Amino acid sequence: MSSREHILSKAKENKPEAIALPNIDLEVFKDAKVLSEEFILKVETAGGNVLNATSDKDVIAQINTMFPDTKVNFSTLEGTESFNTVDLNKLEKPHDLENLDVLVLRGDLGVAENGAIWIPDHQIPMRVLPFISKHLVLVIKKETIVPFLHQAYQKLGNTHNDFGVFISGPSKTADIEQSLVIGAHGALSLSVFVQ
Amino acid sequence: MTHSKAASIFNKDEKKVNWHDKALWFVRHKRDIAAHTVTGWEELRNLGHGIKAHTLSNLDTYLTQFEENALKNGVQVHWAKDGDEHNRIVHGILKEHNAKKVVKSKSMLTEECHLNPYLEADDIEVIDTDLGERIVQLAKEPPSHIVLPAIHKKKEEVDVLFQEHLGTKPCDGDPQYLTGEARKHLREKFIHADAAITGVNFAVADTGGIVVCTNEGNADMGAHLAPVHIACMGIEKIIPKQEHLGVFLRLLGRSATGQHITTYSSHFKKPREGAKMHIVIVDNGRTEQLSRPDFRASLHCIRCGACMNTCPIYRRSGGHSYDATIPGPIGSILSPGKDLKKHSTLPFASTLCGSCSDVCPVKIDIHSQLYKWRQIITKDTQQPFVKKTSMKMMGNIFAKPTKFEKVGKVARWSLRNLPKSMINSKPNVWGKERDLPLGPKESFDDWYKKRQKNE
Ligand code: SF4
Repeated sequence: MSSREHILSKAKENKPEAIALPNIDLEVFKDAKVLSEEFILKVETAGGNVLNATSDKDVIAQINTMFPDTKVNFSTLEGTESFNTVDLNKLEKPHDLENLDVLVLRGDLGVAENGAIWIPDHQIPMRVLPFISKHLVLVIKKETIVPFLHQAYQKLGNTHNDFGVFISGPSKTADIEQSLVIGAHGALSLSVFVQ
Repeated sequence: MTHSKAASIFNKDEKKVNWHDKALWFVRHKRDIAAHTVTGWEELRNLGHGIKAHTLSNLDTYLTQFEENALKNGVQVHWAKDGDEHNRIVHGILKEHNAKKVVKSKSMLTEECHLNPYLEADDIEVIDTDLGERIVQLAKEPPSHIVLPAIHKKKEEVDVLFQEHLGTKPCDGDPQYLTGEARKHLREKFIHADAAITGVNFAVADTGGIVVCTNEGNADMGAHLAPVHIACMGIEKIIPKQEHLGVFLRLLGRSATGQHITTYSSHFKKPREGAKMHIVIVDNGRTEQLSRPDFRASLHCIRCGACMNTCPIYRRSGGHSYDATIPGPIGSILSPGKDLKKHSTLPFASTLCGSCSDVCPVKIDIHSQLYKWRQIITKDTQQPFVKKTSMKMMGNIFAKPTKFEKVGKVARWSLRNLPKSMINSKPNVWGKERDLPLGPKESFDDWYKKRQKNE
């Protein structure tokens, strides 16, 4: 018997009698929090900062004042090509992105309860981008903010992403004596623009 | 070595123990604050429990469904009966790709299977990339906590370790500087890795996808750069549907560190263009645990570490005292299932206060399972002479009221009048590090009778 069959047959043999799958009743989680306020609070709790922007151009203008001296920049927002200093089409391998200073991406939705932003494959030209960049800037539309992860997954529903990530705050660690240090392996800072 | 003996080694450095105790209690406190912000938290825990119980009762079906979907996604799926087979499979994949340098993100399963020494024996470099794991790897120690692997290390120790291995400058243990240096050191490793190994937090049957949660971003740095990604999972990581992630991701971060969600919750489904992805599904004793009605709920565990942070014994004895990959309360019900003899003292490393069961996000009845293991162990294994004899004597005394009264009188008198050296004599382990109270003059029984008369 192959290991596969062995494991499956033992699982079948040893499992308890069928137990019903509970229903998720979203009513029990309802609270009176204001979505946009809660979202800002949670992004900040996670170590990020939230800014307002009127347009994509406005985002870039604000970034230029936030990071005046960065050498390697890349943005996927429309009409912001002049901001870009790298041409992804000319990259041979993702490793060449090692010096990326600022990356600007659009997120599909934000989650108020934890400040997480959903970044699926189709928003990232290369999967490693949001992790390898020194500074990460995410842009979302205000009306895409949902209260809880439950609604986020409802929205994702059948959109079949090959890869996707919820990002909440910059990378961090507290592995040395529980002191929080922002900037572990991923981004050193996270700015979120709400349009 | 018994748990209490191993704990006494950790207890030699009193200052460190006090720090360890407080640091973990602080994490527990952060968990409370985060949990209390969620309306319907208890309902969320019930759902976590219910979904896991349902999944286990259909485990074979969901595993098959998961495999089918993962294959459709272009992922290769492997099955391993035990740790050895798991190691052989991973080794085989690495050989096939001629991989000599491997970066690994946190995975308790690969610890459990002792993957690193297996690969190192064939000259494959395996670098643990989670900062805490890297620290213990450099120190040649196992992790002492499943979420905070280096919680037993003081920053000064990390300082010395990094000076020796990474060539850092002495810094009085400055966490900012040390983390920055580790980032540089590990960047190098990510860039040059031939393969990345990650664990799996959740495997979704209806999409064939896996979810990996980290705060540092190390799993993603590894998986998106290396040409091969190997994800290793125990069979209990399965959940039925993507929407169930809504329940578990809400529970996990808050229970683990008091974060509302980890920084990165990465959903892997298909390999990226030009890269390969493998999933290794491992049993290693889990179907055995599934066969035990009293203990199968231990397979609900989502490895948040909350039961460790809250446990008064764990906080004061340190993770290494459990001599097992998963320490603390949950480890103490998992380990005896694997090797009852080796781990027979673990279910006794508890006050049965029940705090673990109260914080567990998937409502495992941890303390009652500890109690049940005790029943089995006392029956099946040799108990120390002093414990056995004294338990028998106590049982005898409790069974006969007149005897109990007489002995009580003697005990009360002794506690008041005998010298401490005699009361805290060697067989009385309770007298270690603590004093017994002075004996009251009258028994509860006498006091009660008197009180009734006076009324
Ligand atoms: S048993 Fe519960 S509390 Fe302990 S690590 Fe597992 S899920 Fe967390």
